[in-house]
Amino acid sequence: MKSKRSVILLTIVALLVALAPAAAQDEVTLVVWDNWTRDAEQAMIEQLNAEFEEANPGVTIQREAYDTSDLTDILPLALSESGGPDVAMINQGFTGMGALVEAGLLLPLDDYAAQYGWADRYAEGLHARNRFTEDGATFGEGNLYGVSNTAEVVAAYYWKSDFEELGLSIPQTFAEFEAMLQTIKDADKTPIVFGSLDGWPAIHTWGAIQHAYATLDELDAFMFRREGGTFDTESNLVSAQKMVEWIDAGYFSPGFEGMDYDNQTFGAFLNHNGVMWITGSWMTGSIIEELGEEEIGFFVIPSAIEGAPPLSIGGVGLAYGARATTEQPDLAAAYIDLVTGPRAAELLFEQGFLPAATVDPALLVEGTLTADVVEAWNTISSQNAVGHYLDWTVPDIAANIQELMAGQVSPEEFIQDVESDYQAGGM
Amino acid sequence: MKTRFFSSRLDNPPYIHPYQAYLFILPGLIIYAVFVLWPILNTARYSLYDWTGFSDPVYIGLDNYAELWNDDDFWLALQHNAFFVIFYSILPIMLGLFLTALMTRRTLRGMTLFRTGLFIPQVMSPVVVGIIWRWLFAYDGPINELLLALGLDGWVRPWLGDFTWARYAVGGVGVWVQYGLCMVLFIAGAQSINTDLYDAAAVAGANAWQEFRHVTLPGLRQQILVAFVLTFIAALRVFDLVFVLTRGGGPGKETIVTSLLIYREAFQYNRAGYGAAMALVLTVIIVTVSALVMRLQTSEEDAQ
Repeated sequence: MKSKRSVILLTIVALLVALAPAAAQDEVTLVVWDNWTRDAEQAMIEQLNAEFEEANPGVTIQREAYDTSDLTDILPLALSESGGPDVAMINQGFTGMGALVEAGLLLPLDDYAAQYGWADRYAEGLHARNRFTEDGATFGEGNLYGVSNTAEVVAAYYWKSDFEELGLSIPQTFAEFEAMLQTIKDADKTPIVFGSLDGWPAIHTWGAIQHAYATLDELDAFMFRREGGTFDTESNLVSAQKMVEWIDAGYFSPGFEGMDYDNQTFGAFLNHNGVMWITGSWMTGSIIEELGEEEIGFFVIPSAIEGAPPLSIGGVGLAYGARATTEQPDLAAAYIDLVTGPRAAELLFEQGFLPAATVDPALLVEGTLTADVVEAWNTISSQNAVGHYLDWTVPDIAANIQELMAGQVSPEEFIQDVESDYQAGGM
Repeated sequence: MKTRFFSSRLDNPPYIHPYQAYLFILPGLIIYAVFVLWPILNTARYSLYDWTGFSDPVYIGLDNYAELWNDDDFWLALQHNAFFVIFYSILPIMLGLFLTALMTRRTLRGMTLFRTGLFIPQVMSPVVVGIIWRWLFAYDGPINELLLALGLDGWVRPWLGDFTWARYAVGGVGVWVQYGLCMVLFIAGAQSINTDLYDAAAVAGANAWQEFRHVTLPGLRQQILVAFVLTFIAALRVFDLVFVLTRGGGPGKETIVTSLLIYREAFQYNRAGYGAAMALVLTVIIVTVSALVMRLQTSEEDAQ
């Protein structure tokens, strides 16, 4: 009898001891919403999450992935609920981060930034894109609401074989770039692969010309709606005229008005139905997957202003931010520190992404597309030449550019249309 | 009094108190109220606020409606919806009638196969339809290839990106999607037309057109009205097809429609109040037109 009882007792004690560490340490779940939906991306983020859980015993990451537009649509509601994500990836701009800040849904991260030294991750001019004043009204200054881990630059991918065949080299001036387009056209090839059906690629292609003629001060004033910010500038007019000129000269894919981005435009470039493709560095991984590292190169389009750095559309990707009402602000900050830090940069780079944090030069292999892309980013970020996505401030501008390209409006009317949208608040 | 053998249940129904009747419709009513009436009432309420959808709402009275009145995009979108009524409603009804006339005139071998095949576009997901047609309309796609093969080089164009033709292209897909519904409704209706009428028409020496005009068409009046209401509503609330085909209203603003603007305002630009006002106006238009058509229908029934 006695021995039986002691066995039971011992069992209970043993069970208690076994359970003790778990019970003593707080079991914490950190809910994270991100936009890593592709297989390679999932693998990368799961790896980081596993490392985070290992470094923080008792913490479980509960991760949900959405594609970017779904994420942008449903995040506001999710963040206003108590069970919503503690950490989420947030789109910048007035309708994205701005609206969330205005509604008081995001946690200011400045104290954590100081604690973890996030200022050194990348240039302050880029951090400004994740800053808003507390009322959400002023973009580019005020509190820090997010940290990004990827960077983007819109520049030109090109087929190296065509450049060799036509005796072309990377242009050093905008005039050289234009001359190159004519040379390619004369050789009976399509200079620039382009499709504008989706709208937004038109912003990048026209924006590439605009950024060649504009100064960063002009663009900053416009984007952040500062004193004197206007669309009605000489440089915008010249670039609108230039766009029309290029269309008339046949520099873009025939039938570009009806081509979508993901299948037809990307397909046209892969099938070598054109020599260059002006788009964002985010296509690097997909291009490498199809064509490898050697066939395709990447260069930033030079400025039309003499001596100016090659101002290009670009910036930092979606930012990791935290919910204002999270019960685990410290843990959320620690998570943000990991996924935007050097270890994440290494993994992102391996996946063909352009990390916002500096890539170890030892990892770069001369002559590869990846190296070209990192170099393009370093060129513009080190010379303070990172431009802007126009639709952050005037979301409807793609429709205006389509009208300009089809000759529905003159360049002058185009400027006036966008300017009046801008003055009306952008929507 | 002697009771009849067959019970009098139907001849002499037991008295049902109105409350009992309400009890029977209660389950359906609750679901309808929670998922339809309540959201509509809420939409009406939201439309009086300046509200992002997640901020503190600010009451602004009818300001959203005043802004709507002056919103050029909204009027343009309504015009496009009206344009799509031709393609979603009128053309499919005409095509449906034509096919019905063909199929009811004489029995074809493999009739069921035809009917099923012609109905398939109606049951396919609009997103799938959109993706298929985007491919068909592509610059190097089958439609342009066909035009080239026919020597019609001048007609080759980027259909969905063309300022003149994009709306017709989207409309054409609408016809393709909607005619199946009309056809099935009409065939079902035609089967309930008294065959004596056809015999009489034959005896009177009516040709195919006269038979259709004087027997089939009058017999299908109810079905045509139903088809009109259904397709008209579809034309006014079209969203998915445009969203996929022209990626949200392009080129320029050539294919923007009201529901696309509602989505854009409410979910992309965070103006839930303004989007709600737009949605309510669209609802009022749909309800008004449907009510008018239904009234036409009932007054005809009374006349008969």
